[in-house]
Amino acid sequence: MLTSMVQALLVLALSPLFTGLIRRSKAYFQGRQGASVLQPYRDLAKLFRKDSVLSHDASWIMTITPYVCMTAVIAAALMVPFITDSSLGFVGDLIVVVYLFGTMRFFMALAGLDAGSSFGGMGSSREMTVSAIVEPTILLSIFTMALISGTTDLSGISRNLATSGLDLVRPALFLALAAFFISTLAENARVPVDNPSTHLELTMIHEAMVLEHSGKHLALMEWSSMTKLLLYAVIMANVFLPWGIATDLTAIGLATGIVAMSLKLLLFGLAIALVESSMAKLRLFRLPNLLTVSFSLSLLAVISYYIL
Amino acid sequence: MIEIALISPAVLAIICLLLGRHTRAIEAISVAGAGSLLVSGSYLAFRTFDEGAIDEGIWFMDQFSGLMMFIIVLIGFLAVVYSVPYMRQEMATGEVGKRKVSYYYGFLFLFMLTMVMVVVSDNLGMVWIAVEATTLVSAFLVGFHNKATSLEATWKYLIICSIGISLALLGTIFVYASSLPVLGEGSDLHWTSLMAVAGQLDPAFLKIGFVLVLIGYGTKAGLAPMHTWLPDAHSQSPSPVSALLSGVLLNCAMYAVLRYHILLTHSPLGGGFSSGMLLLFGMLSLGVAAAFIITQKDYKRLLAYSSIEHIGIIAIGFGFGGFWGVFGGLLHMLNHSLTKALLFFGAGNVLQKYGTKNISEVRGVGRTMPFTAALLLLGALAITGSPPFSIFISEIMVLAAGIGQGSFLPVIIYSGILVVVFAAFMGHVVRMIFGEPPPGIEKGEISRSGLLPMVALAAAIMIMGLYIPGLLGDALKELIGLFGGME
Amino acid sequence: MVNDLSLDTINALAALILLADFMLVASSRMRSLTRIFALQSLAMGGLAAVVAFETGVGHIYVVAVLSIALKAVVIPRFIDYTADKIQVNREVEPLVKIPGSLLICAAITMLAYFVTEPIMELGTAITSNCLAISFATVLIGMFMMVSRRKAITEVVGLLVVENGVFLAAVSTTYSMPMVVELGVFFDIFVGVIIMGVFAFRINRTFETVDSTVLRRLKD
Repeated sequence: MLTSMVQALLVLALSPLFTGLIRRSKAYFQGRQGASVLQPYRDLAKLFRKDSVLSHDASWIMTITPYVCMTAVIAAALMVPFITDSSLGFVGDLIVVVYLFGTMRFFMALAGLDAGSSFGGMGSSREMTVSAIVEPTILLSIFTMALISGTTDLSGISRNLATSGLDLVRPALFLALAAFFISTLAENARVPVDNPSTHLELTMIHEAMVLEHSGKHLALMEWSSMTKLLLYAVIMANVFLPWGIATDLTAIGLATGIVAMSLKLLLFGLAIALVESSMAKLRLFRLPNLLTVSFSLSLLAVISYYIL
Repeated sequence: MIEIALISPAVLAIICLLLGRHTRAIEAISVAGAGSLLVSGSYLAFRTFDEGAIDEGIWFMDQFSGLMMFIIVLIGFLAVVYSVPYMRQEMATGEVGKRKVSYYYGFLFLFMLTMVMVVVSDNLGMVWIAVEATTLVSAFLVGFHNKATSLEATWKYLIICSIGISLALLGTIFVYASSLPVLGEGSDLHWTSLMAVAGQLDPAFLKIGFVLVLIGYGTKAGLAPMHTWLPDAHSQSPSPVSALLSGVLLNCAMYAVLRYHILLTHSPLGGGFSSGMLLLFGMLSLGVAAAFIITQKDYKRLLAYSSIEHIGIIAIGFGFGGFWGVFGGLLHMLNHSLTKALLFFGAGNVLQKYGTKNISEVRGVGRTMPFTAALLLLGALAITGSPPFSIFISEIMVLAAGIGQGSFLPVIIYSGILVVVFAAFMGHVVRMIFGEPPPGIEKGEISRSGLLPMVALAAAIMIMGLYIPGLLGDALKELIGLFGGME
Repeated sequence: MVNDLSLDTINALAALILLADFMLVASSRMRSLTRIFALQSLAMGGLAAVVAFETGVGHIYVVAVLSIALKAVVIPRFIDYTADKIQVNREVEPLVKIPGSLLICAAITMLAYFVTEPIMELGTAITSNCLAISFATVLIGMFMMVSRRKAITEVVGLLVVENGVFLAAVSTTYSMPMVVELGVFFDIFVGVIIMGVFAFRINRTFETVDSTVLRRLKD
C-alpha cells in the first residue's frame, strides 16, 4: 500500500522530467541546443501561478475536466508497477487502467466540445476517431501479455515474466510491444499522429482540445498528459520487458529496480525522440493506415500466441 | 522405353527452334516427327493395353496412362498436320513472320513433351511439376498472336492456373504427409508406392489433400467455378493450339485428379468422399457451361464452354462411379478430345475465311466451304451427343451409371442440361452454316490438306460410335477395377 | 529430444513470416513490396535450415540455400528490374484500402488457424504448428492478388502463395523428396520469368501494367 503511494508520487514528480528528456533529446537529434530538461517544471510552475479564464459558454464540464484527468492518472499510477512490482493490484487490473485513461479521454473530448470553439470540436472528433482504433489495440496487446503470463493484474504480469527468466518469451511479446509502442505515440499525441510541440496546425488533435484551458487548469491538463505519457512508458517497460524490476523490497532489489527503470525509460525516451525527429507527421486521412497496422499487429500477437 | 516418348519431342522442339527461318524444313520435320511420336506413343499405349503396366522407376504407365498417351500423340499429330496449312495461311496474310513460326512448332512440341510427362510420371510431385510446366509452355502458344486480347487471355491463364496449381501442390504435400507415418523416410511420393500402402494412409490428411488437389488441378481442367481462364485462353490461341488445350490438356489435368481419386478409393476413406466432390464440381461445370453456351456470341468461346461442359460430364461419370460410370468417363475423355479437335480445326478454317469470331457475322459456311461445313455440322451433332456418334455412347453410359446408382436428381439435371445444350449449340452452328454468306467472302476451302485431319477425326468418331475396338474395351474394363467400379 | 533453442528460432521465424504477410499488405510502394518479400523468403530459408539442422536431413539444407538464393535474391532483383524497365510507378494502388485489407487479412489468419487446428494435432513434425501460418500465407497471397491493381503485384502475390506452400511442406513433411523440390523451384523460377516477359508485353501493348485494363474478354 505504502509502496504504491510512494511510487505514484514518484511517477507524478518525474513525469515533467521525462517529457523534458524527450524534448531535449529531440533537440539533440535535430542539431538544436534545446531547453533544459527541467523546463517542463518551470512551465508548470508558471501556469500554476496564473488564474484560469473560462469562456462564458463553458459549463461545469470545463471546470471539472482538469481535476478528473488528474485524478484518473493518479489512480492509474497507483496500479501500475514502477520500481517494484508491488502496487495496488488488488484494487484493479489492466482493464481498469485502460478505462481510467478512457475516462480521461472522454472528459477531455467533452471539454473540447464544451467551450464551443470550432477547434475544440475538431480536436474532440479526431481524438475519438483515433481512439476508436487505438483503444482495442492497447487492450489486445496487454491481453497478449496477460495470456503469456496467465494473469490480468499488471503487477502479476511483471512478476511472472521477470521471475521466469526467458522462458515466457515468445514472438507474441514483440508483436504486442510493437503494437503498444505505436499506440503510445497515438495516445500521447506524438509524431507521426499528432505534433505535440505546436498548436498552429489545422490537423492538430490533442492541442485543439486543450486550447480553451488556461492557467491552473491548463497546468493540470499538461501535467496529467505528461504523467500519462510516463505511465505508458512505464507500462511498456514493466509489462512487456519487466526484467530488472524489484521483486522484493530489499536494498539491492530496489537499487537494481531503480537502475533498470531509469535505463529503460531513457531508452524509450530516446526511441520516441528518434521517431519524432526522423518521421514527418502523417496526413490525417493517412492515419487509419498506421493505426490499423498497429491494431493488426496486436491481433497478430494474440493469434500467434495461440498458433505458435 | 518410355524415355523415347519424352526425348523425341524435346529433340524435335530444339530442332524447330534452331532451324529458325527454314519454314519448309520445319514443317517437314514437324510432321515426320509428330508421326514418329504417334507411332512410338501408340506402341507404348497398346503395350499397356496388351500386357498391363510398365514400371521403369520414375516412369510408370498403366492402361490409364496408356489411354492418355494415345490421346496426346494422336491429337498432337493431327494438330501438327493441321498447323501446316493453318500457319501458311497466317503467314500469307502477314499475321506472323517466319521466325515466329519456328517458335510455334518448337513450343508445340515442348507442350506435348510436358503433357506426356504428366501421364508417365510415377512421382506425384513430378506430375505437379509437369502440369505447371504445361501452363508455362502453353502460355507462349496462347499469347502467340501478341494482340491485346490474346495477351489478356495469357495473363489470366498464367495467373489463375498458377494459383490453382499451387493449391494442388499444397494438396500433394498433404497426401505425402499422409504416407509418412507408414513409409517413413523411405516415402518417395511415387503413386505406385502410395497405392501399395493405400489402406494405411491417414484419412484426415488425404481428405484435405484431395480437396486441394481437386481445386488445384480442377482449375487446370476447367471445372467450374475455377474455369474463368478457359474460355479466354481457348478462344485467343491459334486453332490447332485450342484443339490441344481443349482436347488434351484438360484431360491431362483431369488425369492428375483421378490418380488421387483412385488413391482415395483404396484408402480407409473409401471412394465416397472423392466421388461426391467430383459429382458436385461436375454438375456445377455442366450448369455454368450450359448457361454460357445459350447466350454465346463468339464461336470459339462456344467451343470452349462446350469443353467445360464435357469435362463436367467426365467428372460426373467418375462421380457416379460403378462399372458404367467409370467406363463412360474414360471413354468420354477419348471421345471428347477427338470431337473437340475436329470442331476447333473447323472453327480455324471459318476464322481464317471470315476473319471474325462473332457468330452473328458468320453466315453461309455451307456455300463458301462445303467440306468444312459438312464436317463442322457432323462435329456439332457429335459433340451434342446425337447418335450414332461416339459421344452419344459415353454420355448414355454415364446416364446409366447415374440411374444404376439411384441418384435421380443429378440424373434429371444432367439429362435436362444435355437437351438444352443440344438445342442451343445446334442453333448457333446451324445459323453459321446456312444462310447467305456476307459479301466479299470468296468461295473455296482454305486448304485441302487442312481437311485431312478433320476427315480422319470424323471417321474416328463415327467408327467409335458404332463399336469400341476390343483391345481398348478390354483395357478400359481392367481400369474399372482400379477405380473400384467392379460390381 | 528437440532442442528448445531450435524450436524458439522456428517459432520466431514463423512469426516473422506472418508479420511479413501483413507488412506486404500494408505497404504502398512497389520497392518495399519486393524487399519485404525477400525478407520473408529469407526467414523461410532460415526456418528450413533450422529444420535441416534439427532433423539431420541433408537435402533440406539444399532447399534452404535454394530458397534464399532464388527467392530472397534473384527473384526480387528480377522483379525490381522488370518494374524499372517498364517504369511502373511506385505506388501499389490497392483496390481495397489498406486498413480494410489489414482487417481482412487478420480475419483470414484466424480462419486459417481454425481450419488447420484439427490437422495440426495430427502432425508429427516438430514444426507442425507452422501449418496455420502457412495457410494464412497462402490465403493472404491470394488476397493480395485479387486486391491489388498492378500486374506485377499479382506476381508478388503468387510468390507469397508459393512461400506459404513451401512453409507447409517444411512444417508437415520436412519438405518433399529432393527431385520434386528442385523441380518446384525450377518451375517457380521459370514461371516468374515468363510472367515478367508477359508483363513487359502487356505494358508495351496497353501502355500500362494496370491489370484492370485486362477486362475486354468477357461474355
